[in-house]
Amino acid sequence: MKVLILGATGHVGSRLHTHLQHANISSIAASRGRMRSNVANHIILDSMNLAELTKQLQNVDAVVNCVAGSKDAIGAGAQILTQAALAVGKPTIVHLSTMSVYGASEGVITETSPFDPDYNWYAAAKCEAEGHMQAYARAGGKVVVLRPGCIHGPGSVQWVERIANLLKTFRLGDLGSAGDGWSNLVHVDDVVKAIHFGLEIPLAAGEIQHFNLAAPDSPRWNQYFIDLAQAIDATPVKRIHPLQLKLDSKAFSPAIKISQKLLAKAKQAGLANRLPEPLPPSLVRLFKQHIFLDAQKASANLSFMTYEQSLLSSIEWLKNEQH
Amino acid sequence: MISNLNNLPSGSTIEADVCIVGAGAAGVSLALSLSGRGLKILLLESGFEFADDKTQDLYAGEVADEKLHSPPDKYRQRRFGGSTTIWGGRCMPFDPIDFEPREYIPQSGWPISYQDLAPYYQQANKLLEAGVYEYDADKVFDEEQQAAIKGFKSDILKTNNLERFSCPTNVGDRYKQRLVLAKDVEVLLGANCTGIRLNQAGNHVNQLDIASLEGIKASVVAKKVILATGGIETTRLLLASNDICKNGIGNEHDLVGRYYQCHIAGNLGKLTVLGATSNVRHGYEVSLEGIYCRRRFALTADTQKKIGAGNMVARLHFPKIVDPSHKIGVLSGLFLAKNFISYEYGKRLKDGRSSFVIYLKHFANIILDPIDTVKFLYHWITKRTLAKRKFPSVILSNKSNQFTFEIHSEQYPNPNSRITLISDTDIFGMPKVKVDWQYLSEDIESVRRSLKVFVQEINQSGLATFEFNDDQLEEDLTRFGAYGGHHIGTTRMGTSPENSVVDADCKLHNIDNLYIASASVFPTSSQANPTLTIVAMSLRLADHIADTVHAGKASHSII
Repeated sequence: MKVLILGATGHVGSRLHTHLQHANISSIAASRGRMRSNVANHIILDSMNLAELTKQLQNVDAVVNCVAGSKDAIGAGAQILTQAALAVGKPTIVHLSTMSVYGASEGVITETSPFDPDYNWYAAAKCEAEGHMQAYARAGGKVVVLRPGCIHGPGSVQWVERIANLLKTFRLGDLGSAGDGWSNLVHVDDVVKAIHFGLEIPLAAGEIQHFNLAAPDSPRWNQYFIDLAQAIDATPVKRIHPLQLKLDSKAFSPAIKISQKLLAKAKQAGLANRLPEPLPPSLVRLFKQHIFLDAQKASANLSFMTYEQSLLSSIEWLKNEQH
Repeated sequence: MISNLNNLPSGSTIEADVCIVGAGAAGVSLALSLSGRGLKILLLESGFEFADDKTQDLYAGEVADEKLHSPPDKYRQRRFGGSTTIWGGRCMPFDPIDFEPREYIPQSGWPISYQDLAPYYQQANKLLEAGVYEYDADKVFDEEQQAAIKGFKSDILKTNNLERFSCPTNVGDRYKQRLVLAKDVEVLLGANCTGIRLNQAGNHVNQLDIASLEGIKASVVAKKVILATGGIETTRLLLASNDICKNGIGNEHDLVGRYYQCHIAGNLGKLTVLGATSNVRHGYEVSLEGIYCRRRFALTADTQKKIGAGNMVARLHFPKIVDPSHKIGVLSGLFLAKNFISYEYGKRLKDGRSSFVIYLKHFANIILDPIDTVKFLYHWITKRTLAKRKFPSVILSNKSNQFTFEIHSEQYPNPNSRITLISDTDIFGMPKVKVDWQYLSEDIESVRRSLKVFVQEINQSGLATFEFNDDQLEEDLTRFGAYGGHHIGTTRMGTSPENSVVDADCKLHNIDNLYIASASVFPTSSQANPTLTIVAMSLRLADHIADTVHAGKASHSII
């Protein structure tokens, strides 16, 4: 089998590429921007360019869509991908979606739970992308859609490094009710395994399968924060007052975000990197969202790492990064 | 889901697999644990999410001697979250010895062991936000650097006994959203249980009568019924439901309401630590996970057995607040502010004997000690008033190495210490309670025996001296009466109906579907405050009930 990975230099894409190579599956790593000499089988590909994409798809049996980025890159990008795939004989698409498609939903969420595209721009773009995948299946294509929770483990800037930085400065800690939401953590290697599984799953023409991905023993956010804080010596863990969270996310963090943008415009990336971590209101909302991503369907085919194993792996990576 | 009885039509019948009466520490823990197991759970709560005077008035009753016990509507809260809305947060498990029969304590011994509760203690600790379940201070803090008294070692008087502090967690507030989202749980507010209706044979609960203060009446029919209304109210409900069983439910052997225990507590003695003030750590330590903790002094189980004494702990404490001779501005400030402090927390500041001169002396203490007073106020406001994890209590800087011991001791079970019903009724026609808390000379003598070992061990250490006034011990231990808020023993657990009200599964002996989740099932009171054990026992009961209805473990646990 020959596989094209779109977004292959990202967090999941890069680990997937390495994994497939070890599994003796021929994969082509495609990304925008500069050539990566350290990545085997790397090509530069703008996934928004229908002609280029169509050309690349001619040579593969399957394509994995790990593209991240703007609303267009996600939504319109998915449409271009399905157009190109239809034009070259319908290779299997494994599409990396997100639990964000369920938006503000709470409670136990299965693969058939309703979407909430109005939640924010990201949910809207990801819902749109899934719509194109659905259309591709209706046109006879084979699709596997994966909806992971929060991907942590080695390389997770968002859910390990950022959280650690916020813990170290005591801007996160034990949030009480405000951190009572489920973390829905899933280790990046489990996501990679799920993609591999998606590539090999026998599908009939026109069939689409959806899988939620979250470790079944994934804790509530507070537990993750308390465990991670202790591992990185951000102790004693502080109980964060709801007012502090509110001020941080609604006043302090927007100011950081604006400063980051201004400094980036002024080409002062070094200075921008030295700014504190923003804690956006969307993140604060997520921490208290009681959304439990039910991954039983995936669990029937995959064994997830335990929370303890994946936490250790995240901590090890973080400590190596810091050195 | 959270709803209100006032929104239902009068005469409704609500069906459930499990009905829990009372949404406090026990009821909320039960509902959280039972959720996700395919059962329909109904959690009845008399009050609302806010304090309501009319509802609270339903707790009014009499006490035999107000000097010995607070009125029944104090230290109890009839609202969503129950008395966790006002509790102090002190958590510690009962010790293994508490569960053992001890021949020197008549009526001691539980039908379960510490090991039966151990796994539930872990979960309970988490629910109450008291951190890791580790109560050996030497495993949490440095044995040498964070010792209570530097260098103090004794084989029989230990200082590694730890207490941990909850936020304090108001379980209603903290877990409301979990209950709102749980499709299998209905929390019904404004629902007062006014009667437990048994079948004619008196061995099965057919229904519960419920009513709101606005006049809505309804019935609940449930496969299993759990009373989780606290020690006093559980007793009241059983005694008042006397249409089939004339002496009240479960009271064939006149045990319901008897053996009422709180704790024997007092501030006494004079401990002087030698050397530098840095040799003593009398305040709170903070564990890595951010929990306020404190070391306590306690005799080993073997020593207790050897001297025939009940379980007791002692904390390093400051001098008696009411006596202005301590010359500490902060304490005098507390004394003068006693009327602005809630009843529950101000009680031990009032002994009713303060003259004008005493007040003046306290005032002088503040004037003469302004820096410490201001420092204390700043710390109190930032770490307690404004904090979500609250600094547990007043701790003063140690300037003199002089302390007292704050004693908290087990009571000997006493059938004459009891809760009964009186003819006066509440708005629903439910008889009110009369609380006649009594202590025995054995309670005092037990503390005396223990303190004598304290004297021996501390004095022979060469690191400190300790003395207490033998003649004044009873007065010191009973000055403020029963330690408030601990309502233990009135529906005691045991092996047979002749010696107890409930069995080892907290089920009433001769009724197939009625259970109790409350400190009232504890046969003995331990040295420990009861909340953590109430929650642990409730979680154990939830597993048992799920087993009996073949529900098993939760597929999606929200605990």
